[in-house]
Amino acid sequence: MKPLLLLLALLLPLQAALPSPTDAAKERLETAINEVMAVASRSSGDRELAEDLRPVLLKYISFDVLTRRAVGPGWSKFTEAQKQEVVQMFTTLTIRTYSSKITPGERPVIEIKNATNPAPGRVEINTSVLYQGKRTAVVYRMEEAEGWRITDIVIEGVSMILNYRTQFDAQFKKGGADAVLRALTQTLNKPQ
Amino acid sequence: MKTRIPLPIVVLGLAAPLLTSCTSASSKKPASEAAVVGSAKSNGKSAVMAEDDDLDEYSAGSIFDPLQPLNRVTFWVNHQLYTFLLRPVSKTYEKVLPKPVRTCVSNVFDNVRFPVRFVNDTLQAEFPRAGQETGRFVVNSTLGVGGLFRPSDQFPALADVPAADTGQTLAKWGIDHGFYLVLPVIGPTSVRDGVGLAGDVALNPLTWVGIFYGALAWTLPVSVADGVRSMPDRFGTYDAATQNALDRYLALRSAYVQHRKMVAEK
Repeated sequence: MKPLLLLLALLLPLQAALPSPTDAAKERLETAINEVMAVASRSSGDRELAEDLRPVLLKYISFDVLTRRAVGPGWSKFTEAQKQEVVQMFTTLTIRTYSSKITPGERPVIEIKNATNPAPGRVEINTSVLYQGKRTAVVYRMEEAEGWRITDIVIEGVSMILNYRTQFDAQFKKGGADAVLRALTQTLNKPQ
Repeated sequence: MKTRIPLPIVVLGLAAPLLTSCTSASSKKPASEAAVVGSAKSNGKSAVMAEDDDLDEYSAGSIFDPLQPLNRVTFWVNHQLYTFLLRPVSKTYEKVLPKPVRTCVSNVFDNVRFPVRFVNDTLQAEFPRAGQETGRFVVNSTLGVGGLFRPSDQFPALADVPAADTGQTLAKWGIDHGFYLVLPVIGPTSVRDGVGLAGDVALNPLTWVGIFYGALAWTLPVSVADGVRSMPDRFGTYDAATQNALDRYLALRSAYVQHRKMVAEK
C-alpha cells in the first residue's frame, strides 16, 4: 500500500504542472494567429496570399471536421471518394474566403480573451478583433485530436459551419452528394 | 405617431439591420419544430451523422420561411439595386470624404440614436447599461463636441456597451421571430424585428423632428445622409455573409438568424 501512496504522491505535482486545456488551446491559437500575420505581412496580392496561407491553415484548422459538420446529416450518404472531394473543395473555398478578409495595409489588433471548456477535449476561445476602428467578436472553437486544432470560427455569432450547413443541406436534399459537389464546383469557378 | 414618418427615414434612415438582426425564440424550440430552410422535405433527426454526436449545438440557425419564393425575388431585386445604384453611391461617399470625416459623421448619427439604446436597455431591465449609455451620451455630446468624436472610448467603464434595439427587446421578452422577411432595400428581417425596426424609428430623434415640426425639407436630406453614411459598413457585412456562398439567399438568411440570436443573448 505504501509504495502505491508514494507513487500517487509523486504523480500529484505532475498533474498540477500540466497546462489546463484552455491554456494549451489558447497558446496554440496564439501561435496560429502570429504565423498567419507573419505570412500576411510578407505576401502581396490575394491569390498569392491564399497560396502562402494554405500550409499554415492546414496545420491549424481541422478541415475534415469542418467539412463533415458543414455537410451535416447528408455526410453518411457520401462515398469515400465524394467525401475526399468535398473536403478538398471546401478547404480551398475556406482558404480563399479567409485570405480575402486579410487586406494589405492596416493590421487588425487581435485580443485573445477568456476561454471556456464546454466538454472534454473541446475549448471555445473568445477573441476581439479591432480593425479600422471597428470591433468584431470572433469565437474560435477548438478540439484536441493530434494537438489542438480549430474546428469552427464564429464571427459576430455567425458560425461558419452552420452557415454552410444551411446551404449544403439544401443542395443535398435537391440532388444528393452530386448536387453538393456541383454547387461547390460552381462557387469555386466563379470569378472573385 | 401618426402618418407623418417620412418614407425616406423608414427606407434609408433605419436600414439598421441590413444583415444583422434577431432571434432567440427559435432556439427554445426543439430543432425539429423549427421549420428548416431550403427544402421542406427534411429528414429530421433520423439522419444522424455517424461520426458526430454534437450536432445539436448546430441545430439553431433556422427560421420559418413560408414566403421564400417572394423573399427570393425581393432579395434578387435588392442585390441588383445594391450592385448598380447603392454600391456606387457608397463608393463615391468613401472617395469624397476622408476616413476621419466619415467617422465623425457616423459618430454624430450614432450619438443622436441614444434614446433608442437607452429606452431599450430600460425595457430590458438592463439598468447599468442604460446608465452607461447615458454616460456615453453626456461625455460624447460635451467633450466630443456634439458627438463628432467618441471620447467615451477612453473610459473603460463606458467602452464596449452593446447597442440595444427594439427587436432585441422583443426577443428578450420571449417573442419569436414569426417568419423571415426580406424587405425592399433594407433586406433581411422577420415579423418581430420588422416591428422592432418601427420601434427604433419611433425612438429616433430624427423622426421626432419630422413629426413635431413637420420639417420634411430638413428631415429628408438628413435621413438620406444617415442611410448613405451607414452603407460602407453594411456592404462590408453583406459581402462577408454572401461572398463565396453556394446560395447567397440562404447564406444571408442563416447569418441574419444567427447574428440576431447572439444579439438577443447579450
